[in-house]
Amino acid sequence: MDAIATQGLFKTYRRWLRRTGQAALDGVDLTVPQGSAFGLIGPNGAGKTTFIKVLLGIVRLDQGQVRVLGGAAEDPKVRARIGYLPERLHLPAAWKPAEFLHSVARMKGVRVTGPELSAVLERVGIAQAKDRAIGGYSKGMKQRLGLGAALLGKPELLILDEPTDGIDPLGRVEIRHILSEELQRGATLFLNSHLLSETERICDRIAILGGGKVLRQGTLQELRQVGVCWRARFQLDAGLALPVDGAADATAQATAQATVQMRTAALQAAGFVPAGDRHRIVVNDAAGLNAALDQARAAGALLTELVREEKALEDVLAEAMEAA
Amino acid sequence: MKTWAVTLDLLREARSRKWFLFLGGAITLGLLVLGLSLKLEVVDGALAASRFFGKSLDNPMMSADVALGAVFSVASQFIFYGGMLFGIFSCSDFAPKLLSPGRIEHLLALPVRRWELLAGTFLGVLILALAGAAYGSVGLTLIFGVKAGVWTVRPLLSAMLAVVGFIPVYAMMLTAAVFARSAALSSGVGGVVFALGVVTSYRDTLLPMFSPGLGRFSFNALTVLMPRLARLAELSSQLAGAKPVSATVALSLIGGCLAFGAGALMVGIWRFEERDF
Repeated sequence: MDAIATQGLFKTYRRWLRRTGQAALDGVDLTVPQGSAFGLIGPNGAGKTTFIKVLLGIVRLDQGQVRVLGGAAEDPKVRARIGYLPERLHLPAAWKPAEFLHSVARMKGVRVTGPELSAVLERVGIAQAKDRAIGGYSKGMKQRLGLGAALLGKPELLILDEPTDGIDPLGRVEIRHILSEELQRGATLFLNSHLLSETERICDRIAILGGGKVLRQGTLQELRQVGVCWRARFQLDAGLALPVDGAADATAQATAQATVQMRTAALQAAGFVPAGDRHRIVVNDAAGLNAALDQARAAGALLTELVREEKALEDVLAEAMEAA
Repeated sequence: MKTWAVTLDLLREARSRKWFLFLGGAITLGLLVLGLSLKLEVVDGALAASRFFGKSLDNPMMSADVALGAVFSVASQFIFYGGMLFGIFSCSDFAPKLLSPGRIEHLLALPVRRWELLAGTFLGVLILALAGAAYGSVGLTLIFGVKAGVWTVRPLLSAMLAVVGFIPVYAMMLTAAVFARSAALSSGVGGVVFALGVVTSYRDTLLPMFSPGLGRFSFNALTVLMPRLARLAELSSQLAGAKPVSATVALSLIGGCLAFGAGALMVGIWRFEERDF
C-alpha cells in the first residue's frame, strides 16, 4: 500500500474577491510507497510546502484526490498516525519542553509518562535543557523539540519540513541516525529539505517539484540515469602523417590541421562538448552513447579514455528545472 | 473530543501571562485590604457600626443583609464592567496567537478538528472569566460572611451574569481574529460590541430620538440583534443587592447573550473551516 497517493492536485491561492491568483500546485501526481524514505526537492516557490499542507488538510484543495495512509487527510484518525514537523514551528515560549510534549501527546491521544517524555528529550538531544523554558532555546534546539513532538506515539508516517534547519553538522548526523531508526521501525519518511546532500543521504526515492508540477520522480539511481554524463578523451590526430625530423612540409601540416578541425567539428556534431583536454557528453542511455562514439570514430577520432561522471542531486535538479 | 485539551493549553498559557498574574494579585490585594481593614459590628443581625482603616463610617443602623446589599450591588457593577474591559484587553491575543504561522499548522496536523480548536479557545477564555469573577465574588462573600454573618450566593450569581455578558463579546472577538489575525482588531471588535451592547440596552429610549428614515433604520438595524449588556449589568446589580428580579427578563437577557454568542461563534467556525493556513 502507498503511504501517500495524490492525483491531479490543483491549488491556486486567491485573494478575496479576485478570480485570478498564484497557482501553487498544477496537477501533482505522486505516490510514496509505505516504508520508504521519500524526499521532495525543488526551488523556492515550487509548491513543496503547499503540497505538504495539502497532505495534512491544512490547505484546502481546488481539485484532485489525496489518500494518506489509506484515508482522507481531513480524518483525525489518519492524522493521529502522522508525525509532522512544520518548517517554522512556533512554540509557546513560557512552557517547559516536557509541557509542550505532554500537550502534543494529549492532542494525539497518546498516554505518556514522565520518564517516557524524558526519553524523547534524551533521544532528540535536549535532555540537558529540560528545565529551561522553550523561549530560551536556540533555533536548533526548538527544531529538535519539534522533531521529538513529531515522533510521539510512534507515527506510521513522518512528514518533516526542513528538519535539520538551524541544526549544527554534528546534530544533523544525530537527526539522520534518528530518522534511520524510524525507517527501520517501519515508518515512512516524507522529507522536504533544501539541503540536497541531506536528502541524498536519507532518501531512497525523490521527486522534483517545479512550478507546482512533479518534474521527475523515482529512485535516486533512476533520476541519476536520466541524462547520464560521460567524460571522454580522444586522440584527434590519430593516423595522420606528421612531418618527420622537423622537416617542414607545409602541405602535410595544413592537411593534418584541417583533419583535426574536421574531427573536432564531428565530435561537436555528435554531442561532445570540449572540457579542458577532454570532451563531455550527456546521453539518456547506452545506445545514445554508442551512437555518439560511432559518429566520432567514423570521423577518425580515436577514443583513449571514457569515464562516467556520477551526477550529484543538484545536477539532477538543475537539469530538471532547465528542461521544465 | 480534544476541545478540553485545547482549553487546558490555553489555561496553561494564561498562567504564564503577566496580565492574569496581575489580575489575581489585584483581586487578592483588594480582598485582603477589605478583610484586614474593615471592622463591622453586628448586633442581633443589625449593622451597628463600621470602621474602615480605624475610622468610623457614618451609617444608620439597619439590618446587616440590607446594608450589605448596597455594597454587593456596587461590587457587582465593578465586576461586570471592570471584568468586561479587563477581559477585552487581556484576552484579545489568545486567538491571534493560536492562529500564528508555525503554530496553527502544527495544531491542524494533529488529530484535532478545526472547530474543536476554536471551541477549546472559547471555553478556556470563559473559564478564565469565570475563575476571576468567582474568585472576587466568593472572596467578598466570605469576608462579609465572617464579619457580618451574612451568607449569600447572590454575589456569586451576579458574577456569573457578568460572565454571561462576556460570552457575546468574546465570541465576536474570536470570530474577528479568524477573519484577520490581529489582537488590536480583536480587542477593537470587543470594545465595539461592548459599547453597542450598552447602547442597545437603551434602544427603546433612544430610537424615538432618530427621525424616521435612514438614521432610524440604521440605528434599528445596528442594535436589533445586539445583546443588551447594560440591562444585564443592572440585573446583576439587582440580584447582588437582593432586589426583586423578573425571571422572564432575566431569561430573555441571558438567552439573548447566549444566542448572539453562539451565532457569532458559528460564523467564526464556518470561516475557520474554510481557511487555508
